[in-house]
Amino acid sequence: MLYYLIVCRSLTYAQRTAAALERAGITARVLRSPKSIAGEGCSHSVKISQRNLPDSLRILQRVGLTPKRVYITAGDGSYQEVAL
Amino acid sequence: MIYLDSAATTLQKPAAVAAASARAINNLASPGRGGHRPAMAAADTAFACREAAARLFHVGDPERVVFTFNATHGLNIAIKTLARPGSRVVVSGYEHNAVTRPLHALGADIRVARSPLFDQKAALAAFRRELDRGADLAVCTHVSNVFGFILPIEEIAGLCRERGVPLIVDASQSAGAVPLDFSALGAAFIAMPGHKGLYGPQGTGLLLCGADPVPLLEGGTGSESKRQSMPDFLPDRLEAGTHNITGIAGLLEGLRFVERRGVERIAAHEAALIRRMGEGLCAAPGAEVFLSGEPSVQAGVLSFRLRGRDCEEAGELLGEQGFALRAGLHCAPLAHESADTLETGTLRASVSAFNTGREIEKFIHAVWELDAAKY
Repeated sequence: MLYYLIVCRSLTYAQRTAAALERAGITARVLRSPKSIAGEGCSHSVKISQRNLPDSLRILQRVGLTPKRVYITAGDGSYQEVAL
Repeated sequence: MIYLDSAATTLQKPAAVAAASARAINNLASPGRGGHRPAMAAADTAFACREAAARLFHVGDPERVVFTFNATHGLNIAIKTLARPGSRVVVSGYEHNAVTRPLHALGADIRVARSPLFDQKAALAAFRRELDRGADLAVCTHVSNVFGFILPIEEIAGLCRERGVPLIVDASQSAGAVPLDFSALGAAFIAMPGHKGLYGPQGTGLLLCGADPVPLLEGGTGSESKRQSMPDFLPDRLEAGTHNITGIAGLLEGLRFVERRGVERIAAHEAALIRRMGEGLCAAPGAEVFLSGEPSVQAGVLSFRLRGRDCEEAGELLGEQGFALRAGLHCAPLAHESADTLETGTLRASVSAFNTGREIEKFIHAVWELDAAKY
């Protein structure tokens, strides 16, 4: 199943992001970022389903939590950055 | 035992506090240090605690709620971020050593805005006078840990804002016990313990950050691990090393208790107990009681002296009768200078949401008897 990962600067930022989405009825799960997309080492991401990206971006912009980097899973298990 | 030392730490806590800490020991791992269930459960608890504190103190962004180990820890971060050797720092005449010792250690130029006890107008005028002489920083306790004097923090914050002077607030005695609004104050930092009026376990504290802080400790944060400098974002910037998650789990329940009961209600309860205690003790012939004429300027702390009795000795005797209170200087010699009690110290009784009127009556009676035994 395809899904998006919103990479966040900190665990707390990821939790705020997930909480904002959950409040809007979008299932969002905080997890450790895969090493290949973690940036400067360890980070946390918020996982959302493919169909929820447009709504998620709109909600996050509204609450001032605009994502910096978003990735989508590829069929081979790798991640590809999404242009926002 | 009747516990009257809540200004040091609250001993009676909501039952949920101990239960949450006990559960945490075997169920919560290290937040941010793993993706497994116990680590994520710990992360959820820490985040819920930040959110609860942000709600209670009107902090717009829970990332600006930083966990510390006590108020002193938070004050050290705040002071060492904003003060330098020679910085001119205005403080009230009621500061604790947690403020004055870091300032002395830095070699700051400390200017004390001296004012008489329980006189808010004079405290404000003293701050205005000292700020107008030029200041790099102001540090002010919200409530004196010795006398319960509520400093006019909103007005002092206003003076600081008008002059562009950053303000650090020591909320050790006020957090959870007196209304406190981070957003309205516009303070650079507010430091508070988790184990007093927030009813959390010892070893917990919070620092609310309005300014960008400099870390006091460097180390692992579970973020940006390739970098050898601390992250530039909160709360990670200030939270190096493993969290006190058992403490944080308890603190969350303490915050929930305060939120449910309401700070205004707790404040009114404590003020009423202190007023009754003060009026009752005044009736003892040998008692000198530091009770404000105006009830609204004193929180849940009362100091007194008994003529002809050393305060430590009197505290010991009351302790033998089952009353837990503190005697001496309470780590705040500056406050005693302001009230002219530095040579003798005082006996200090302080209450919490869990004290009752009946306990206060027993205490008054015990002090009367102790006083009468002298004659």
